[in-house]
Amino acid sequence: MAKKIGRREFVKKSAKIGITAVLGTGVVSQIIEGSVRVFEGEHIDIGVVTGSDYYSSTIKAVDLIGGIKRFVPKDSRVAILPNVQRWHPGTYTKPEIVRSVINMCKEAGAKEINCLSWLDRKNWEATGLAAVIKEEGANLKLVEREEAFFKPVKIPKGKALKEAWIMKEFFNNDVFINMPITKDHAGNKFTGTMKNLMGLNFSTSNRSFHKKDWQTDKNAIEHLDQCIADLNTVIKPTLCVVDATEFIITNGPMGPGEIIKPQKVVVGVDRVAVDSYCKTLWGIKDEEIFMIKFGYEHGLGEMDLNKVKIKEKKI
Amino acid sequence: MKRNISLFLILILSCLLLLFYSSEKLLSAQQDLNKCLPDEGIMKGWKKDGSLQQYKGEDLYLYIDGGAEIYHEYGFRKVIIQDYINKNEKSISLEIFEMTTPESAYGIYTFKTSPEGKELDLGNGAQLADYYLNFWKGNILVTLTGFDEDEETINGLLEIARVVESEIEISGTRPPLVSLLPKKNLVPQSIKYFKGNLGLYNSYSFFTKDVFGLKEGVKGDYRDGYSLLLISYEDNVECQRKLSEAKKSFRKSPRYKNYKPFVEKVFQVKNDRGQFIFISSFDRYILIVVGIVTQAQVKKIFLNFQEYINNKT
Repeated sequence: MAKKIGRREFVKKSAKIGITAVLGTGVVSQIIEGSVRVFEGEHIDIGVVTGSDYYSSTIKAVDLIGGIKRFVPKDSRVAILPNVQRWHPGTYTKPEIVRSVINMCKEAGAKEINCLSWLDRKNWEATGLAAVIKEEGANLKLVEREEAFFKPVKIPKGKALKEAWIMKEFFNNDVFINMPITKDHAGNKFTGTMKNLMGLNFSTSNRSFHKKDWQTDKNAIEHLDQCIADLNTVIKPTLCVVDATEFIITNGPMGPGEIIKPQKVVVGVDRVAVDSYCKTLWGIKDEEIFMIKFGYEHGLGEMDLNKVKIKEKKI
Repeated sequence: MKRNISLFLILILSCLLLLFYSSEKLLSAQQDLNKCLPDEGIMKGWKKDGSLQQYKGEDLYLYIDGGAEIYHEYGFRKVIIQDYINKNEKSISLEIFEMTTPESAYGIYTFKTSPEGKELDLGNGAQLADYYLNFWKGNILVTLTGFDEDEETINGLLEIARVVESEIEISGTRPPLVSLLPKKNLVPQSIKYFKGNLGLYNSYSFFTKDVFGLKEGVKGDYRDGYSLLLISYEDNVECQRKLSEAKKSFRKSPRYKNYKPFVEKVFQVKNDRGQFIFISSFDRYILIVVGIVTQAQVKKIFLNFQEYINNKT
């Protein structure tokens, strides 16, 4: 059961417990950790629901970790970041999962729900996400790929990445719900919650995650994964909702590729744990994904699933 | 002094001419690629939708953020993109990639295609998988993507592909290394051709680090239940050096167990998925067998390959 707290208390508590969230006063504020509210029920790190009704699975999965009101305060402005990289099956966050999250946010009393992206409108339309966002009364905020629309953010703990360029629009929100689809990626074999944050970062900055001259030498994958982990030290999602229902395990991230259908929606706050769980769905070993290890080393979360409380449900 | 000035002027003039010639060459290459775009009049019922997009070199990243590395590993120059639409609002996206060499185009073609696709008689190699058509011809890779598997979409894919193919005047052949894969029981569409570690890593992740120093390799699956990976080097010396480094990496890695010699010049390990991996070298090639295979099968594979290489080279 979530204990209700007011906005002022929420902000105070957020800063105090030292987790990152976004405080939207219209003024760009350093992303301050923590919008997660005290939850008096059983503590669950990862909620997983399996079933063919992805809309319902999403609600049930969020319920397993305390329900949406734990994460979305009344009158808050919510930023949602689905993955809309391509429109091939198994490459983008499914519209029904996004619809479910939007409706939960509305039910929690969010005053504004904003889907953010610097990708083309075509991607949103071809995936069916634009229609869902419109139908549910949320906003699709497409940011032009111009430096002026992004804000430099220092990364004090960065080992490979010292500065990110985060879209300014992002800072106008109070809550951040990260909604990737987990899938294959040609660059480092795995996409999940941590990698999805590149969707907030300016493309020129993202380009530096990859080695110069597109070298794919022995350090390239580590460099990319270290940059992703570094980026994650300055942005912490309030909640991660991962589409692990149907996704590509080859020819990622664009696809088309071989699709597997675990039909799972995976939710949690701990990105490292959620990614660590998702990679098991298609048999990837810990040693193969540097990003998870680097995230763990940054103290972003737990990579040992034996130490993580996971609750699974079938519907 | 006058002679020196004249020589200097000639040199400058030559440089300018060379520069002009190079620009002309680049421009004509671009023209050639654009010429491959089907005119609306040629195709029944399909017209251009939106404007032409074009990305060169590193700008590919702007088009396929997160997916550009692999194109660059194979050798990418530029891509043009044009969408098409028909009266029923069926949509097809056409991408024409200019790669650096025919090997590059063939390599990225094998990367993008799957064993389940249907082979087509188009260009130097073509495949249709669901609503996704790829073919390569010379140093050009063409990718057509529909948004569904309806008959009119599939027919549209085939029609546009044929028009584009007819406009590509160059041609290419598969890299010679591919022909070294023994043909018996080979699943032809399983072949993956590599120009770097990223390609290999996406096909089989031995190590995230490039322990083989891979510049050129090829993989094929066999109906008997194993895969062969062949890596080519400049010469036998480099091959032996890389083999020695690979052995060290296998020995040290916790992912691999039971490292031991198998027969002369062949060593074996077992991976964390319970598959055996046998590795050896022949001339300037490293040959790796991965799969559930008996020892007798492995001995036969290596013996046959040795004979095969001897006959081929």
